[in-house]
Amino acid sequence: MEVHVRLQLDIFNIKDIQFAGRTAIKDGVLYVDRSELQEFLGEDKRLSQVDVDLTHPGEKCRIIQVTDVVEPRAKTNGGVDFPGALGKIGTVGQGNTCVLRGTSVVISEHRRARDAPMEPSLPGHGAVIDMSGTGAALSVYGKTHNVVVVPRSANGIGLHDYRIALKIAGLKTAVYLAQAGKGLKPDEIEVYDLPPSSGTPKGLEGLPKVAYIFQFISGQFESIPGYPILYGCGAERIAPTILHPNEVLDGAIVTPYRTMGMEVFGLQNHSIIKELYRRHGKDLCFVGVVITVAHDIEQENERAATMAANLVKWTLGAEGVILTKSGGGIDEVAMALTAQRCEELGVRTFLALVHYPTMLSGGDNTTLFNVPEVDAIVSLGTPHARITLPPVERVIGKPIDLEEGPLASGEIKTTLHTVRGVISQIGSSGLIAVQS
Amino acid sequence: MQGHAKQENRKMGAEVLRIVQYLNQFFGGIGGEDKAHVGPQVKSGPVGPGRAVQEALGERGEVVATIICGDNYFAERIEDATAEVINLLRFYQPDAVIAGPAFDAGRYGIACGALCKGVKDQLGVPAVTGMFRENPAVDLFRKHVYIIETEDSARRMSEAVSQMVKIVLKLVGKEKIGKPSVEGYFSQGYLENEISDRPGAERVVSMLLAKLHGQSFKSEVSLPKYDRVELAPGIKDLRSATIALVTDGGLVPKGNPDRIEDRAATRFGVYSLEGKDALDPNDYEVNHVGYTPVFVLQDPHRLVPVDVMRDLEKEGVIKKLHEKFYSTTGAVNIVENVKKMGQAIAKELKNEGVSGVILTST
Amino acid sequence: MLAKELERVGLPTAQVCTLTPVALMVGSNRIVPASSVVHPLGDPHRDPKAEKIFRRGIVEEALRALQLRDD
Repeated sequence: MEVHVRLQLDIFNIKDIQFAGRTAIKDGVLYVDRSELQEFLGEDKRLSQVDVDLTHPGEKCRIIQVTDVVEPRAKTNGGVDFPGALGKIGTVGQGNTCVLRGTSVVISEHRRARDAPMEPSLPGHGAVIDMSGTGAALSVYGKTHNVVVVPRSANGIGLHDYRIALKIAGLKTAVYLAQAGKGLKPDEIEVYDLPPSSGTPKGLEGLPKVAYIFQFISGQFESIPGYPILYGCGAERIAPTILHPNEVLDGAIVTPYRTMGMEVFGLQNHSIIKELYRRHGKDLCFVGVVITVAHDIEQENERAATMAANLVKWTLGAEGVILTKSGGGIDEVAMALTAQRCEELGVRTFLALVHYPTMLSGGDNTTLFNVPEVDAIVSLGTPHARITLPPVERVIGKPIDLEEGPLASGEIKTTLHTVRGVISQIGSSGLIAVQS
Repeated sequence: MQGHAKQENRKMGAEVLRIVQYLNQFFGGIGGEDKAHVGPQVKSGPVGPGRAVQEALGERGEVVATIICGDNYFAERIEDATAEVINLLRFYQPDAVIAGPAFDAGRYGIACGALCKGVKDQLGVPAVTGMFRENPAVDLFRKHVYIIETEDSARRMSEAVSQMVKIVLKLVGKEKIGKPSVEGYFSQGYLENEISDRPGAERVVSMLLAKLHGQSFKSEVSLPKYDRVELAPGIKDLRSATIALVTDGGLVPKGNPDRIEDRAATRFGVYSLEGKDALDPNDYEVNHVGYTPVFVLQDPHRLVPVDVMRDLEKEGVIKKLHEKFYSTTGAVNIVENVKKMGQAIAKELKNEGVSGVILTST
Repeated sequence: MLAKELERVGLPTAQVCTLTPVALMVGSNRIVPASSVVHPLGDPHRDPKAEKIFRRGIVEEALRALQLRDD
C-alpha cells in the first residue's frame, strides 16, 4: 500500500487588492474588509491597534521597518494554519492549501526610538520594500500587491512579547486573506507529492539520490524566548532532524524575528525544495530534507554537523546533498563543517551561499572556509553591494525621527540586504557575485 | 613601420601614445645579481622586452623611454626609489607606464607594483604590470594596480606583454575593464553582483547533477589556496620541555631598534628575556597597523605571556621558558615573506633545543 | 602561516588567535581561542589578579595543545 504525502496548492492569481465592505475574491481582485481585519488582529491584547494599508507595484511608495513577509495561504482541507503559532499544533504538509499568488502580507514593526536599530546603517527606518524604482526592480516584494500591517504594542507589553505578537499578526492576516478563496475554483493547481524515502521508489533506481540540509536558524542573531519558529515553539537548540519537504512549504517553520535573506514567504515558496521537486523522477530522486541550526558554541556545531551528515547518509541514503545557510560568517562556518562531515561519509556536497570579499589573506578568497572536497559552490550574490533608492511620495510604517540621517521618503543610499526580497539565502533570486 | 606611419597618424591628428617602460637590471640588459645595486638610469626607446611592448602597441603607441633600475636598489628604499623613477619618467610626459613583467621575481615584483601604484597616485596616468601568481608582490599590490597573471618565467613574454598592453590601451581610452578571468589580471578584491538568467536554486541543482554524473562543472565561488601541514609530534613530557614564545602582534622594544615594518614585514626581532620575570610596558611598543594596540601597550603580557610562563617554570610545569622571544608583524599577509621568516625562526628554535612554541596572533 | 613553518621542522606550535573556526578550516592545527583580537591573552575588564589567572588558563590550554599527538 503506497503511502503518499500529497500537498495541493489551490492558487488564485491576484491582480489587484482593494478595501471594500466584505473580504472576498472576485475576478482576480482581492477585496479586504479593513475594519473586520483590524478588529480581528486587535483581539490580541498585546497589541493596542493595528494599521492596515495597501500598496501596489509601480507606486512611489516605501514600506519601512519591515520584519517579515508572508504569502496569504490558508488550509482549506486537512491540517492547521501555522501550527502552534496560531493556536493548536497539528500536522501540515498534506491536503489543500489555498494560495493568493501575486500578493504579500508585509509586517512592519512599530518601533520606538530606544529600540536597538534593526539596521545599524539605517537606524531611522530599518529594512525597506520599495514599490517602484531600483529597489522594486530587484525585489520579489516590489512586484506583489502588498497588504501592510503595522501593529502597535499595548502599554506595558515588553519588547519580546510585542515582537512575537507582531509576527503572529502577520501570520493571522495571511490566513484571513487566503480564507477568501475557500470554496472557490482556483486559477491553477500545484501538487507536491513525495512518498516516504525508505527504499527507492519504483522506476527511480538509476537516478542519483539527493537530499537538502536546510539551516533555518542562525547562530549569530539573538533569539527571543518562546518565539514560534518550528511547529510553534522555539528551536534554537535543537539537534538536526528530518522534515518532509511539504512541512517546510506548508507552514511548519516560521522565520525567527531577525533574519537575513529569508522571510516566511521564501519558505512557503522554497526555491530549492521546489526545484528538487521539479526534477524528481526525471533527473534525480529527492530523498528528503534535514533541518539544522547554526550555533554559536563550537561543540554544538560539531554535533549538528555530525548528526546532519549521518541523517543524510545513513537514514536518507543520499549521494548528493545541497546546503544553504541562514546568516553570515558563523553560519557559513557551521555549514562548511556540516559539508565536511558529509564529504567524509562519501556524500558529495553542493553549497549555495551569499559571500563577501574577504580581507583575510589576499588571494581570491570570498569564503571563510577551506575544505578541499567542497568544490561545487553556487554564488547567491554579495549582500553589501551598494544600492541607491530613489525618493518616494508615500511611506508606510513608522520612521524614527533622528537628528541626522536620511528622511524615510528621501533618497536612500544603502546596501542590498536592507531591501527585503532581493537577497535570498535559499536561492530564489538570480543574483550572482563575480570577482573584479 | 615607425617613421612614416606615425607621421601619417600625427598628420591626421591621431594620438600616438607615449609609453615609458620600467625594467630591472637583468631585463634591461645591464647585468645580473652583480648589478642589482645599481640605481635608475634612462635609455631612450624600447629595450629588451620593450620590443615586444612596441610590437603589441603597433601604431597606437611608442615606447619613448625605458627606465632600468637594480632590484636591490629599489627594494632597499622603496619609497625613495619610487619617487626617483617617477621624477625621471615625468620628463617624458607618458600617457601610460608599463612595468616588468616581473614573473616570479619578488624584489622586481615589489618594484613594479610600487612604481605602478605611485604613477597612478601621483601622475594620474595608467600603469600596468605583470607577475606570476606566487610572486609576493601580487597580494601586496593587486588591490591598487592591474597586475596581469603571467607564467613563472619569461617563456611567454609576448603573450604577457600583449595582455598588459590591451589593458593599458583600455585604460587610456577610459574604456571599461572586463572581469579578471576575461582580461587576465588578478582580481582586485571586489565582488560585484550580476543577475543570472537562472535563480540560484536552479544553478545549484544543475551543478549537482553535472558533478554526480561525472561531467565537468565550474564552481561559481572560487576556492582558496590550500596547504595542510602534518602535525609535529606532541611534547611527551612537558616537565622537561623548553617552550618559546613567538608573536606576530608586532611587540618590539621601544624605538623598534630592528625597524620591523608595521605591515608587510620582512624582518623579525629576537629579544632577550634573560633575567626578566615580566615585561615592563615602558620598555615596549607595538608596531602593527592591524589592531588597536591600547590594551597590549598597557600590559604586554596580553600578547606575550612572560609572567605566566615564568610561574609555570618556577612550578616545574615546564622545564624552561626559552630565553628569547620572537616578534614580527602579521599585518598584510604576504605568503612568501611569512614563509621565509617562519623558516628562519623555526631553524633557530630547533637548533637551540626548543621543544614547543606558543604563537600569539591578533 | 608561521605556525606551519614551525610544525614543518618538528616544533609543535600552539596558536592563540581569535578566528578559531576560520583558522581550523584553512589548515592550521593546534588552535587555542584567544580572548580577543586586541588582547589575546588578557581581559582589561578584570582586575589584574583575576586577569593573570585568566591568562594562565589560556596558556595552559596552549600547553595541552602542544602535547596533542596526531593519531
